[in-house]
Amino acid sequence: MLSRRALLSIFTGLVFALPLQASGAEIAHEMGITAVPDAPQRIVVLEFSFIDALASVGVAPVGIADDNKRARIIPAYTDIIGDDWVSVGTRKTPSLEIIAALQPDLIIADKTRHAAAYDTLSEIAPTIVLDSLGGDYYASVAQMSVIGQALGKQNEMDARVAAHRATMAAYVDEIKTASSGVTAQFGVTNATGLWLHSPKSYNGSLLDMFGFSSNMSPTEGGVYQTNYVPTTLEQLSVVDPDILILGKYARPAFTDSWSGDALYDGLTAVKSGKVFQVTAHNWSRLRGMLAAEMTAQDMLEIIRMTSESN
Amino acid sequence: MTTGGWQHRGVPAGLLLITLFASGAAASLATGGRSDVGLSALLGVFGAEPKSLAQSVMFDIRLPRTLVAVFIGINLAMAGLILQAVTRNPLASPSILGVNQGAALGMVLALFFPAMSGSAVGVFAVTGALTAGALTFAIAGGFQGELNSLRLILGGVAVGAFACALVRFSFTLDDDLSRQVVRWTSGNIADMRWHDVGPLAGLSITGLIATVLLSHRLNLMALGEASATGLGTDPRITLLFGAVLAAILTGASVAVAGPVAFVGLVVPHMCRLVFGPDHRILVPAAALGGATLMVLADFASKWVIAPFETPVGVIAALIGAPYFLYQTLVAKDLE
Amino acid sequence: MTMVSGISRTVVVFTLLTLSLFGAAIWSLSAGAVPVSWQIIANTLFDLDGPRQDYIILRSRLPRTLLALLSGGCLAISGTIVQALLRNPLASPKIIGINSGAALAVCLMVIALPDLPITYLPVAAVLGGCLAASLVWLGSEVGKVSPTRLVLIGIAVGFLFDAGVDYILVTSPSFKFSTPLVWLTGSLWARGWAHLGLVWHVLLLLAVTSVILSYRLDLIRLGDAHATGLGMNVPRERFVLLALAVLLAAISVSVVGVLGFVGLMAPHIARSLVGGSHPVLQPCAILTGMFLVVLADATGRALAPPVEISAGILTAMFGAPFFIFILITTGKAEQS
Repeated sequence: MLSRRALLSIFTGLVFALPLQASGAEIAHEMGITAVPDAPQRIVVLEFSFIDALASVGVAPVGIADDNKRARIIPAYTDIIGDDWVSVGTRKTPSLEIIAALQPDLIIADKTRHAAAYDTLSEIAPTIVLDSLGGDYYASVAQMSVIGQALGKQNEMDARVAAHRATMAAYVDEIKTASSGVTAQFGVTNATGLWLHSPKSYNGSLLDMFGFSSNMSPTEGGVYQTNYVPTTLEQLSVVDPDILILGKYARPAFTDSWSGDALYDGLTAVKSGKVFQVTAHNWSRLRGMLAAEMTAQDMLEIIRMTSESN
Repeated sequence: MTTGGWQHRGVPAGLLLITLFASGAAASLATGGRSDVGLSALLGVFGAEPKSLAQSVMFDIRLPRTLVAVFIGINLAMAGLILQAVTRNPLASPSILGVNQGAALGMVLALFFPAMSGSAVGVFAVTGALTAGALTFAIAGGFQGELNSLRLILGGVAVGAFACALVRFSFTLDDDLSRQVVRWTSGNIADMRWHDVGPLAGLSITGLIATVLLSHRLNLMALGEASATGLGTDPRITLLFGAVLAAILTGASVAVAGPVAFVGLVVPHMCRLVFGPDHRILVPAAALGGATLMVLADFASKWVIAPFETPVGVIAALIGAPYFLYQTLVAKDLE
Repeated sequence: MTMVSGISRTVVVFTLLTLSLFGAAIWSLSAGAVPVSWQIIANTLFDLDGPRQDYIILRSRLPRTLLALLSGGCLAISGTIVQALLRNPLASPKIIGINSGAALAVCLMVIALPDLPITYLPVAAVLGGCLAASLVWLGSEVGKVSPTRLVLIGIAVGFLFDAGVDYILVTSPSFKFSTPLVWLTGSLWARGWAHLGLVWHVLLLLAVTSVILSYRLDLIRLGDAHATGLGMNVPRERFVLLALAVLLAAISVSVVGVLGFVGLMAPHIARSLVGGSHPVLQPCAILTGMFLVVLADATGRALAPPVEISAGILTAMFGAPFFIFILITTGKAEQS
C-alpha cells in the first residue's frame, strides 16, 4: 500500500499548487503555465539573454545570475539597468536563498540549466522557464515577446521587437549584398580547443539569416545534433569557410598555435585574409536583441573589410 | 623457467603483432576529418615541396597524431609492465595506482596559474604523477620494503578518487573552465603537432632503453624479492627506480594527451599471455603492443561517431574497464 | 573491563554525538548566502512574533537539513550492512558500484529520453544503482570469491560504469549536462520539501527494517557455519540485508546525488566509538552519517557564498584520505 503510493507519487511527478494571483497574466512557457502578477517590479533573471529582454523595455532586474562576475554584464546593459542588481551566484547553481531574500515577484529561468529547480523556484516566486541556452536566434526573439507579456509590457516589447526586426532587416539587406553564396563560420576558442557553432546554434542561425551558408555537415536526417562542435584543424579544413569568425576566451588562444601550419595557411579564409576576431562574450553568451544587433554591426564591419580587401 | 614453448610461439606471434600494428597505424593514418585524404597521400610526403593539400594533412596532422598515439602506447605499456613486475601485482598499472589521476590533478592545478607556459604544464603533470605514485606506495608499505598487493590497489584507487574529487571541484566553477577540464581529463590527442611529438618521442625512447636495461632486474623481481636479493641485486633499488621511471613515463603522456586509462594494464597482460614471462622479450613486445592498442584506439576515436570525434581516452576506458573487471575475477595471488 | 564502564561509555558517546548532531543541524539552519540572525531563526521556527524569514528557513534550509539527515543516516546504515556482510572494513555502498551505476543511468536518461521530466531522475538512479550492485553480486556468486576480491570487483564495475559516463559526457551536447553535472558532484542545491516528500516514507521504512534486522549481522559476522548452526538461513538473510543496503543507498543517492565515502566513514567512526556490536553500532553509525552530511552541506553553503560547493566534493576530499587511513591502520592490525 505504502510502496504503491510512493511509486505513484514518483511517477506522477510533482504537482505544485501555485498561490493564486488576483490579476495578471497567464504565461505559457517550457514547464507549463504560470500566473504572474500584473506588472512585476522585482525580477530575478538567471541567464544573460533575459537581461537583454528587460533592458529592451527599460526594466532593471533586482537579481542576476552573473556567475559572480559583475563585469559580465556589459555597459550596453548597465547603461539602462543601472548597477544596483544583486549577484545571485552562478548560472549553473544560483543561490536560492539570495533569490528568496530579494523577494522577487518574477523569476526567469533557463530550461537546460534550471528545469530541475523549477518547483523550488516556483515556491519563491512565479517562475517562467525559457530555452535560452539551447535555443537559436528566432527562439530568442520569440522569448522576448513571452517576457514582455510576463512584464505586463506587451505593447512596449512588441514595439521594441518590431524595431529590432526592422533594424535587423536593414542589416540583413546590407549584409546580403555580400553574403550570397559565401560561407561564414563562427567558432569559440579557449586555451585547449576550438568549438564551431553549428547552424542550429544561436550564432549559426544568425549567420544563416544574414544569408551566409555553412559547410558544416549535418548528421542524421539533416539535423544538427549539437550546437557546439569541438573541431580539429583537419575538420576545419573540410568546413573551410570563406569567412572565419573567432571569439577568443583565452590569450593566446588554441587556434593561434595553428598559424604557420600549411593546412591552416591554406584555408580559404586565411589565404584571403578573412579571419576576424570578435568579442566572444558578446557573440556567444548574451543571446538577446541587443546582442544580435551588435553581432549584426560586427558582421557589417566584417563585410566592409572583406569588400575593401577584394 | 621454461622458455622453450614461448620461443616456439613467440616468432609467429611477433609477426602477427607487427602486422596488427602496421594495419592499425595505416587505419589511423587513413581516417580523419577529411575523407578525401587517404593513405596514398603518404607517397612522397617527406620529399615533396611544395606539398599538395592531401600531403599537408598527412604530414602536418595525421602523422604527428599517430606518432603521439604510438609513443603514448609505448610509455603506458612500459609503465604498466614495470609496475606489475616490481610490485608483483597483476592489477598494477598507472591508472589503477592513481598515477594517471595525480597527473591530471597536476594539470588542473596548472590551469589556475594561467601564466604557466606549455612546458610548465608538463612539469606539473609529472610532479602530480610522482606525488600520487609515492603516496600509493607509501600506503602499501612500499618504503618499508613490504609491499602489500591489495593495499597497493585499494590505496591507488583511493588516491585516484581523491585527485578526481579535486578535479571535479572545477566542474562547479565556470562553464568554460569545466569544458576545458572535461576535455583534459578524458585523454585527447585530436590536436597533436610535430612539436608535441619531439619531447614525447625522446622520453619514450629513453624510457624504452631504460626498461630494456632493467629487464634482467625485472625478471629477478618477478621471481620474488628473496631470490633477487640472493642473486645479488637489491630489490628496493629496482622498486624505486622502476616506480620513478613509470611515473615519469606516465606523467609525460598525461601532459601531452591527458589521462589514458587501462592501456598500462591490458597490454602487459596480453603480452605475458602470448610471449611468456621473460622481460627481455616482454619489454619490446609490450612496447609494440601498447603502440598497437593506441593506434587502434585512435582509429576508433575518429571512426565511431564520424565526422565527430570521441577522445581516445574514452575509447581506451571502454576497452580497458571490462578487461579490468575480468582480471579482478580471475587474477590469482591477490589475497 | 567491566560491563558497567562499557555501558556508561556508550551512554556518554551517544549523548555527545546527539549534541554534536544537534549543533550541526542548528548551524546548518544558520549557514548560507543570506545571514539570518538567531532571533529570526527562532521566530520563524517556533512561530513567534517579530521578524521572520519564512522561505530561507522553512522552505530552504530546514528541508535541506532534514534531507541531509535522512540521506546521511541511510548511507550510514547501508555502509554498516555492507561492511558486516562482506566482512571488509573497506567496503561501502560506493565500493560496490552503486554510485557509478546510478550516475550512468542518470546520464543515459538525459541523453536517450530528453523529454522525460527531470523528476524521473531518481527512478533512473535507483535502477542504475541496483543494476551495478547486482552485477557485483553476480560476479561474486559466480566466482565464489573472498570478501576482499569482492571489493575489487566492485571497483572494477565502478570503473566500467564510469567509462560509460565519460563516453556520454564527451560525446553529447555539453549544454545538456548542466543539471547532471551538478548531480554528479553530489549537491543538495534546490532540494526541498518536494524531494523529501518523494522519499522519506520509503527510506524510513527501509531504515527501520534494517535497524531491526541488524542484530542478525552479529550472527553472520560469527561465520556462516556458526550462523547456520543457530538456525539461520544464511544465504537468504545475506540477500535480504544486501538488498536493503542497496535500496537505501541508491534511493539516497538518487535524491542528493553522488555523495561518496559517507557510507564508508560513518560505520568506522562509530565502531571506534562504541565497538562492533550491531544493535549499538548501527544507531551510532546513523548519528555519525547524519552529522557528516549535514556538516558537508552546511560547509558547502557557508564557504564561498553566493557560490555553493557541492557536499559530495567535500565528503570525497575528506573521505578519500580517511579511506587511506583505514587502509593503513587495518594493514597494521593484520600485521601485529
